[in-house]
Amino acid sequence: MTVSSEYRVLYHHEGPLDMEVLPLIVRDLDKLLATESIRPPLRRKIVSSLIELAQNIIRYAVQSEAHPPSLLITRTDKGITLAARNLVYYSQEIFLQSYLQSLTQLSRPELEALHHNTLTTGSFSDSGGANLGLVEVLFKCDEFSYELTPVDELHTWFTVKASFFLQNYE
Amino acid sequence: MSDLTTLGKLEIEPTFTTPKITFDPDARRFVLEGNSYPENSLKFYGPVLEWLKRFIERHTPSPEPLVFEVRLEYFNTSTAKVLLDLFRNFEVLQEKGQPVQIRWIFLEEDTEMEDAGLDYQAAVKVPFELVAINEGQT
Repeated sequence: MTVSSEYRVLYHHEGPLDMEVLPLIVRDLDKLLATESIRPPLRRKIVSSLIELAQNIIRYAVQSEAHPPSLLITRTDKGITLAARNLVYYSQEIFLQSYLQSLTQLSRPELEALHHNTLTTGSFSDSGGANLGLVEVLFKCDEFSYELTPVDELHTWFTVKASFFLQNYE
Repeated sequence: MSDLTTLGKLEIEPTFTTPKITFDPDARRFVLEGNSYPENSLKFYGPVLEWLKRFIERHTPSPEPLVFEVRLEYFNTSTAKVLLDLFRNFEVLQEKGQPVQIRWIFLEEDTEMEDAGLDYQAAVKVPFELVAINEGQT
């Protein structure tokens, strides 16, 4: 038997992303999730994750009019998925690959310990970030994946997907 | 005139991404409320931490507690780090003999915010109260 799973795009932003645009996205998404009857704890996780991913894009993404960043929020019967995509330099790929591989291999208690240690003893990045964005997203979501897809000789698409299962919040 | 009034009240108006801050020594009430996800938390909170440092230097302890109320909606991880720095300053005040109290205010059904408060409660060494409120309640 095939179980159908309705897939809907709840929100899509493709284009320049900065601190002028982000608050508008946060406000719209928060309202949208409320109208989707998403309960406050899950709403907070999704919106907080979006803030972290968007601020990573604002801080670190390669600015390109031809290849702007995107934020996509979709819903199925199972849950909500947040996908953030931005351009990075090919030279950053090795770092991202090894950083994310090491993060995704951590067990829940190890991730909690890393989160706690970075929060209490870690330093800020030059741009004022806490170096915790991806850890936080990994910590909050139920399923995490990433992709690095070559665009040209110099650039790579970096896509992060974080899924939140509705059954965990019923 | 006391040292407290000399330093004056710290007031910062909110924006979409930064909180309203009212540190009122005369009322013995320090409040941080709203959203906090500035692009650069160090830059935003630097003057706040500096104000608090000067306040602590000049402050003469009194028996009545100083209350720090935190009522946040959305906050990013760099704010989470700064919050800990703010709480550490209240630990210093307590070490100086000033009774202090931190009140972490959150919506009753927002277990995510409650968990964040519990983490801070475990991390800081001052009375830290978690206060659940209903929507619309002040």
